[in-house]
Amino acid sequence: MKKQLEDLFLQVQKPARYTGGELNSVTKDLKDVTVRFAFCFPDLYEVGMSHLGMKILYSQFNNEPDVWCERVFAPDRDMEELMRQHHVPLFGLESRDAIRDFDFVGFTLQYELSFTAILNMLDLAGIPLRVADRDESFPLVVAGGPCACNPEPLADFVDLFFLGEGEEVDLEVINLYKEHKKNGYSKKSFLRACADIEGVYVPSLYDVTYNEDGTIAAVTPLDGVKPTVRKRIIKDLDTCFYPESFVVPYTDVVFDRAQSEIFRGCIRGCRFCQAGFIYRPVREKSVDTIDKQSHDLCRSTGYEEFSLSSLSTSDYTKLEELLDRLLDWAEPEHTNISLPSLRIDGFSEELANRLNVLRRAGLTFAPEAGTQRLRDAINKNITEEEILDTVAKAFRGGWTAVKLYFMMGLPTETMEDIEGMADLGQKVVDTFYRNPDKPKGKGVTVTMSASCFVPKPFTPFQWEPQDTMEQLLEKQQHLVESVHTKKISLSWHDAKTSFLEAVLARGDRRLCRVLEVAHRRGFNLDSWSEHFDFEAWMSVFEECGLDPAFYANRRRPYEEVLPWDHLDYGVTKAFLIKENELAHQAQTTPNCRQKCSGCGAACWKEGVCVENR
Amino acid sequence: MLKTVRIFFSKTGRAKYISHLDLTRTMSRAVRRAAIPLWYTEGFNRHPYLTFAAPLSLGYEGLRETMDLRLEEDMEPAELVARLDAVMPEGLHILSAAEAVAKPGDLAAAEYRMTLSCPADKVRDALALPELNVEKKTKKKTMKTIDIRPYFEKADVTAEGENTMVQVTLPSGSTENINPGLLPAALEALYGEKVRCDVVRLRVLQMNGTEFA
Repeated sequence: MKKQLEDLFLQVQKPARYTGGELNSVTKDLKDVTVRFAFCFPDLYEVGMSHLGMKILYSQFNNEPDVWCERVFAPDRDMEELMRQHHVPLFGLESRDAIRDFDFVGFTLQYELSFTAILNMLDLAGIPLRVADRDESFPLVVAGGPCACNPEPLADFVDLFFLGEGEEVDLEVINLYKEHKKNGYSKKSFLRACADIEGVYVPSLYDVTYNEDGTIAAVTPLDGVKPTVRKRIIKDLDTCFYPESFVVPYTDVVFDRAQSEIFRGCIRGCRFCQAGFIYRPVREKSVDTIDKQSHDLCRSTGYEEFSLSSLSTSDYTKLEELLDRLLDWAEPEHTNISLPSLRIDGFSEELANRLNVLRRAGLTFAPEAGTQRLRDAINKNITEEEILDTVAKAFRGGWTAVKLYFMMGLPTETMEDIEGMADLGQKVVDTFYRNPDKPKGKGVTVTMSASCFVPKPFTPFQWEPQDTMEQLLEKQQHLVESVHTKKISLSWHDAKTSFLEAVLARGDRRLCRVLEVAHRRGFNLDSWSEHFDFEAWMSVFEECGLDPAFYANRRRPYEEVLPWDHLDYGVTKAFLIKENELAHQAQTTPNCRQKCSGCGAACWKEGVCVENR
Repeated sequence: MLKTVRIFFSKTGRAKYISHLDLTRTMSRAVRRAAIPLWYTEGFNRHPYLTFAAPLSLGYEGLRETMDLRLEEDMEPAELVARLDAVMPEGLHILSAAEAVAKPGDLAAAEYRMTLSCPADKVRDALALPELNVEKKTKKKTMKTIDIRPYFEKADVTAEGENTMVQVTLPSGSTENINPGLLPAALEALYGEKVRCDVVRLRVLQMNGTEFA
């Protein structure tokens, strides 16, 4: 197989995506290894290799002497075609062995549109898709990541899901597996034992029944397993494992740089944002830890850039102190620091000046909605004044390009809110021209990008209908007509993929069949627009006798049993209902540092929940 | 005056799939890992000074490839080699370092060893034809036909079982460049069957045939 692979490599685009052997990739001697884990990212190499979670778990698993974790990505079209033609099964990049012979095949669930890629990868590996069709001779198929908070559309394919943060629970399962292997392994008894581990959800041990109208009647635990599964969190990020090195790809990937995680969770509670709820509570890493980890990573990788990773960089309580420390070595070593997710209300003039020292990239703001009323409804607590004030500071600091991110189709949105987006863009342009010190001969570029709102589980909007595609198209058209300057360039996300995302995000187990049929028809990598065929997708729903609008466009009553109700992310349903009601009254909720709103995440007694306020 | 240091390295095994563009990035990161006092260009987008006189095609191995660095302060060549080699990824090895003698433009030819999945008599027959024409992509992306026979006049052809080993020196400079991959392409066109070819670039040469240094 290995010689055959070498032949294929020379026939495809960017073979460095399949060859392995990158700096810091890990190879082990098989005689020292008892557990082989295929860490699969259901997207192309250049996307998957940018992902921080995979880097953390890859290093952590390989830190165990008898565990060998390898990376696996979805092959691009040309490679897949050759693999199928030459009967080359999906392989791990490090050993080039077929993952069919591994102990675990693990998928990270980052976005719903990657679900078909998971089925395609299993198929390429020669592993039966359904749990029921896999006996002990096949690897266990496991999955984790944000979309595991509603894994029901994948329930028939995945043996067990990890809920929440993986650093502890993943190894607990691997260790339990080693024990079972020693004492006569049976898949059934192993899965049953896993179901008692906090943070492990074994879907086959929960039975789902439906009402006549298609809603869920009940989710019943079988064989005495716990009725609700609570996610796992890492209590102390300073002592938690963090890699000292990353695999450094040869070929260009989306984020080709070192990344330092500075905290988990988010204090903000923007009501549309799933990450803002499922990663609670906020827990910070200390300045010392971040400084050391960043420097170690840059030294071991040679990266010329690193970024501080979190959901909202400026909410880090000691950001200025941290930047001081980092710049001490980063500047003399010609290393750039990038700060994504910088919120505008935390953006001081001083910080702007400091960042000027380094490379000046574009400035990105996410007001999300065009009017104050709607920003209040979604709890994006920013005023127009704050936005313009910050933009003015940035312009004085020399920036000439601003990106504004909006969402379309937010609950309670009207055409007035759409016009508000255009007005805000115009005001940003005006602010630039009012700056007396604006750079000579330079114009301003305001890029406004509008995505389509997708209601997600475990957010206050989990009951909300998504706008229909017709409504979204009408709003997009209205936005185009409301913009009157060439300084603003507009772009938006395709409403069709957002619709499918909405169906899968809040779907139930009946969608497993839809995914299976879609896979059989060759659908794969749906997040890549050239692969996505909407009409074909709709015909699959028809064939399966399911109405996608039932999942996407229907307002669900608070009493309805939601497909993910037996999963517990700390945030209570009562809190989410209260937040939903406040949204409809355009009332805001203070952030976690201003005042505790009693979301439920305090049950862990960690992070911001026990900080002195 | 900053000195240009010429490094020789090998690129074999998995490293043969690193494209030329990716190799630049790979080397620049390796130099950073080794904490070599590299000279950075001035200006808005500062980057380390690092150039390659002769790019190697993707999929070819190279036993004595060359790369130029500019250092900010002097460094013992032996130390430079040791530090850099210690941080190289799989398949890349640093062989030597010395002050550059020849100008990058002096590089004019390269010696290759090719292994063709085609019997030796067929290769010999092809090279004995009055002309051996093959389509070649020009810089403007159009196709033109060239006769490669003269370039293989002095080629050393040896049978290796079912395969054939060809050792040959071909022009590899800014004025003229002949890719060894043209030979298997010509054989395929001639005999109508697939010819696999592994290419190893053995060394790079100056116009007068002496080693590029």
